[in-house]
Amino acid sequence: MENEYYPWGGEFTSCNPKGCVAAVILNIENYIPTDKVAIYGPLKTENIGIEKIVANVISNPHIRYLVVCGEDIRGHRSGESLISLNENGVDENNRIINAPGAIPYIENLNEEAIERFRSQIEIVNLIGVVEKNKINEVIDEYIAKSPQSFGKSYIAIKIIPEAKISIGDKRALHAKIVVDYMGNVKKRGV
Amino acid sequence: MFSFTYEQKVFEISNIKIGGQPGMYPTVLFGGVFFKGEPDFRGAGKNIARMLELSEKTGNPGVPDFFIRKEEYVEEILDFIEETIPRGHPFSVDITDPSVKVKTLEMLHDRRLLGRTIYNSIHVGITEEERDALKRFTPEMAIIVAFNPKDKSPDGKIEVLENGAHLTDSGLLKISKDLGIKKLLVDTAALAPGDNSGAAIAAIPVVKEEYGFPTGCAIHNVVEKSTWLNGFEPARKSVDAASNVNIPLFGGDFAVFGPLANAEMVFPIIAWQDILISEYTENYFGIEPIGSHPRRKLF
Repeated sequence: MENEYYPWGGEFTSCNPKGCVAAVILNIENYIPTDKVAIYGPLKTENIGIEKIVANVISNPHIRYLVVCGEDIRGHRSGESLISLNENGVDENNRIINAPGAIPYIENLNEEAIERFRSQIEIVNLIGVVEKNKINEVIDEYIAKSPQSFGKSYIAIKIIPEAKISIGDKRALHAKIVVDYMGNVKKRGV
Repeated sequence: MFSFTYEQKVFEISNIKIGGQPGMYPTVLFGGVFFKGEPDFRGAGKNIARMLELSEKTGNPGVPDFFIRKEEYVEEILDFIEETIPRGHPFSVDITDPSVKVKTLEMLHDRRLLGRTIYNSIHVGITEEERDALKRFTPEMAIIVAFNPKDKSPDGKIEVLENGAHLTDSGLLKISKDLGIKKLLVDTAALAPGDNSGAAIAAIPVVKEEYGFPTGCAIHNVVEKSTWLNGFEPARKSVDAASNVNIPLFGGDFAVFGPLANAEMVFPIIAWQDILISEYTENYFGIEPIGSHPRRKLF
């Protein structure tokens, strides 16, 4: 039941399915937020990681706040990039506008899913804050706001590049052995 | 087990050879140091000494891969490298932050260590400052990570090598060569389960057949991200170490196997696998293993 949401999976823990807060935890070890949050988990990469967060939070319309806390990931700057996505969206090359991360591209979500994320979610920027009590206080504050659900669940479709199947593709492994439809070896070696 | 039709490149750095046809050279093993928190030099010193012993015993070259998280760690980590790593031995520097990359390259140059440096890594997020630094302070060898956020399949990995998947102005191979880096290794970018994790392994023979560059990956990352394994805790370490056998089995040349402390398990597993492969590839393709190959040393 509790995982009726979050179809994209990932490294997270789901708690209260009707919670209005989700927490993204950057580089804080052994921090478990209150079980009143809808979902919490770490964020590592500024591309696939962000895509999973977006897809998972928009699938649960009760989530309205995303608390991003902790020390941002060096080099990746994933937390700041997530905030940039919420503020600015992506450009024509699917790069998150003004994201500071190294490879901040959203390639597996369509525009509609990104826009839904931007409309549904308000980010609570706690980057740089690592004190657990302080984060708990802010989370409680936003839970107390008890906003309305955004409405229907949005299941983001994963964009998968068109598969090109070519049995004669020479970039695959080269077999020197030829086996017929009966499983018999017809040719061996060069 | 197989052999490639494309001519395979073999690169040497400080007496370690990497690449070639499967079964010829032992798999090179990169073990990570300083992944978390402040650098623990005492623990790292012990682990490196043990890795060198295991390497001597099995014949599989071991390369310590120093993760440098912050600029303030650069100097002390380079001091440690100079004191701890034997002079004739290579090491790699694994850095994500572009400004730390630039600073490290400059200091490696100042200390005349670039000839032993494997730069980890070049990817589609390369910045102008990083390019400038690499041009001025060129490491002997570099790892290109073929991560393509648009397409995680082997074709997607070829795309970033070939044309940068339009995320960079040209392909990563051309960018690296234009920077003057002659010895390139390709890391096929292992991703989490659910993100075509198997493609990192499948891409190894594809990259080798297409370009002949020494190829490998950090397949253990997939194990680390397999959260379902939390329910099988006693098996986790074995699965982590065993995941690396996929690399030589698919013709790969190097494995980035995670924390150096895992060397104890990884070296014998890979030595065993290298023997298995060599026995077949010599019999079928006539590929003779070099003298330091585990098959020569142990069997």
